[in-house]
Amino acid sequence: MRPKLAAGLGLAGLIVLFGLIGPLLTGDPATIRDIGLTPPSGEHLLGTTLTGQDVLAQLASATRGSLWIGALVAVMATVLSGIFGIVGAYAGGAVDEVFSLFSNVMLVIPGLPLVIVITAFVPPDERGTWNIALVLAITGWAASARVLRAQTLSLRNRDYVAAARVSGEKTWRVIGVEILPNLLPVLASQFVFTVVLAILSEAGLSFLGLGAANSSTLGTMFYYAQNGFALQREAWWWFVPPGMVIALFGGALALINFGIDEIINPRLRDRPRRKRDVVAVEAEIAPVEPDAVLTVRNLNVVYQSSPPVHAVKNVSLTLRRGEILGLAGESGCGKTTLAYAINRLHRPPAEVTSGSVTFDDVDVLALEPEELREFRWVRLSMVFQGAMNSLNPVTPIRAQLQDALRTHRPSMSAPDRELRCAEMLRLVGVDPARLGAYPHELSGGMRQRVMIAMALLLDPQVMIMDEPTTALDVLVQREILNEIKRLRDELQFAVVFITHDLPLLLELSDRIAVMRDGEVVEYATAEDVYLRPEHPYTRQLLASFPSLTGDRGALIR
Amino acid sequence: MSYYVRKAAFYLAALWAAVTLNFVIPRLLPGNPVDILMAKLQQRGGTVDPAARKAYETLLGTGGGGSVFQEYVAYLGNLLRGDLGVSVSAFPAKVSEVIADSLPWTVVLVGLSTLLSFLLGVGLGAVVGWKRGTWLDALVPATTVLSAVPYFWLALILISLLSSGLGWFPLTGGYDVVLDPGWSGEFIGSAIYHGILPALTIVISSIGGWLLGMRNMMVSAMSEDYVLTARAKGLTDRRIMIRYTARNAVLPSVAGFAISLGFVVSGSLVTELVFSYPGIGSKLLQAVQNNDYALMQGIFLVITIAVLGANLVVDLLYGLIDARTRDRSTVS
Repeated sequence: MRPKLAAGLGLAGLIVLFGLIGPLLTGDPATIRDIGLTPPSGEHLLGTTLTGQDVLAQLASATRGSLWIGALVAVMATVLSGIFGIVGAYAGGAVDEVFSLFSNVMLVIPGLPLVIVITAFVPPDERGTWNIALVLAITGWAASARVLRAQTLSLRNRDYVAAARVSGEKTWRVIGVEILPNLLPVLASQFVFTVVLAILSEAGLSFLGLGAANSSTLGTMFYYAQNGFALQREAWWWFVPPGMVIALFGGALALINFGIDEIINPRLRDRPRRKRDVVAVEAEIAPVEPDAVLTVRNLNVVYQSSPPVHAVKNVSLTLRRGEILGLAGESGCGKTTLAYAINRLHRPPAEVTSGSVTFDDVDVLALEPEELREFRWVRLSMVFQGAMNSLNPVTPIRAQLQDALRTHRPSMSAPDRELRCAEMLRLVGVDPARLGAYPHELSGGMRQRVMIAMALLLDPQVMIMDEPTTALDVLVQREILNEIKRLRDELQFAVVFITHDLPLLLELSDRIAVMRDGEVVEYATAEDVYLRPEHPYTRQLLASFPSLTGDRGALIR
Repeated sequence: MSYYVRKAAFYLAALWAAVTLNFVIPRLLPGNPVDILMAKLQQRGGTVDPAARKAYETLLGTGGGGSVFQEYVAYLGNLLRGDLGVSVSAFPAKVSEVIADSLPWTVVLVGLSTLLSFLLGVGLGAVVGWKRGTWLDALVPATTVLSAVPYFWLALILISLLSSGLGWFPLTGGYDVVLDPGWSGEFIGSAIYHGILPALTIVISSIGGWLLGMRNMMVSAMSEDYVLTARAKGLTDRRIMIRYTARNAVLPSVAGFAISLGFVVSGSLVTELVFSYPGIGSKLLQAVQNNDYALMQGIFLVITIAVLGANLVVDLLYGLIDARTRDRSTVS
């Protein structure tokens, strides 16, 4: 079990136990003695109240009362939020619209003032525990309903739920069998949240004297402490303990929620911060070929998980000036890891364990963070796979193009920056008038062109393109490939082009490296790879692409 | 329908719901508030004529007589004229006068401390999320425990430590009572001095929620592709953190402002009581203790309208900081 979840459950368990068993052990909380306001002692561990009642005994029975209210409210509120959240979202259409509007309205009306107004109209002798719990539930379900609705909506569109619906299962069955089990973590976390909220609200109400009649909760303890001037008499043992119980219980439930969150969203899990991304001790810098711009020698990248995954094994590549080097392989073969490691963009737990990356005469793996930052984009830029998500969704593309110039060419004037960005957009075939556009206003192809324009801004010598056209339709893909070739001829930068599409590489690249399980198994000119593949895996790859004529020549498009 | 029109329509609907709730609640619940009010009015030496009775009946319901619909129309008419009835606990003041006197205190106190808490919480949350894996992670459980503490209890503790104990701050009140309320420097200084502790209570209790939400969104946003692009671009860490990660991570916090504001307002009301702060929260509780139903309902309405207004402003702001919302056609 996750440590936070365990700690939270443990602490909450202790408090619940105290509420359940405590009242049996601590004697009658109402017994009045003539030792009012004595500080904690061996006889009364938490001292006494103004009327000599034992604070520990009161605390135990108050804890029980508060937990009971919290549980009651949470059960009722969960039922309500289930009806308005789950059922509404599942039913969809007008029902969902109405339910969701209702939840949102209830959500924006502040809770406690409403509770106060409602309870104030109920005559004191009719204010029972159940009535108070009902009022708290009615005013406290809306936030959960909203969370459940969002979750149900996403579940509703999953394939297995759609399949169950199409196959004619009854609605209650689909909700009960297909949807509810998947909502359990969210329901649990909302339940926990409602318990805390209910205990806090009830404490507030009782503190104001609006609590349930004849009830004993942490809130009523506060009420009596306040009216007995505990604060003014410096009887801290009277009003500190109930607050501590609420705080500890709230803290425990928060820990439980952290645990649940980490189960739902693995990104949130604790992760020790990595000190270094490179543990290569002394990189042996191989003699660099005269026209090489980027040389990778015996590079190893390991994901330090348990068990460690050796994602890039002894890879050696040379990229010459103006050359297009194709990097082919199936998903998971380590080609993206390799590309990231070249620019040291790999994230923990990935680590470069040995090898060298030499760029002209720069030992990339030895760069200090600030040097590395200055190196990036100026010498080596990248175009990523998901053009959809590579652009910041909340700023116009102008700002995203300009900040590369702002950072790397601080002396450039604002009009010059604007001119440069417009020039680059024109170069990739995008109307410079679109500089003010947000990413979501551009088509997928346009976004990828903007990314290419961004990558060209600083005249880098090398551009790494990681599946830049995969998400695009075939026509757009073709246009962009032609664009890349034209730009390369015009501007003479070198390209590392990564894709799983070998036929595309055969046509585009000067040389091709084929990767499998982290190793480069074939590394030769495009022509040699096509006509004289050496490794059986390359032959297998080449054979796996369909051809129309039965002749392998049909591959060339 | 444009984003702004939809938002305005939603808040109109919410306003109507609140106004109607206010009308329905006293009619649905047991007890006879009008008789209680009339008795109180008599004690205070008010005129117990049929007109006074009629006014309360419009607000709270009758034991019979005119139709509910007529009452509803009359009630709405009174609201539009700003006529909320006569307060019995502050007799002979009108409810609207009591509210006008106390509302500014609460708006300034709760408004400023909520703003401060939001900025601090979101700022700290961004840093804690960005520096994940360092000692800063310890801030997360610590602030969460603080946000599980009842506001009024924290207020009591702060008073006993900082006011009674160290004598740094006044025990209660909103200003030094020997001063005349007004725009003099002395009075404003006194009001600020008295406001520090209540504000501190609200900030400490509410900061944890903002911090945690922001931290979690930072962590999620850090693995987005656009952050990777920003790193590959060789931008400074500062710029990546603020312009790329935090700029996106803050959106859910702003969108969730409505929920959080409700909690803060609820907590602040009780806090005011502990500090005997001259705001609307103290007046609400005074109204409750004196069965001053007219004042109670007026205050509930005003608080709700204030909260709805604040949320509307935040929603409009959200449209400004996330261009995608303005173009989206479905209600979220």
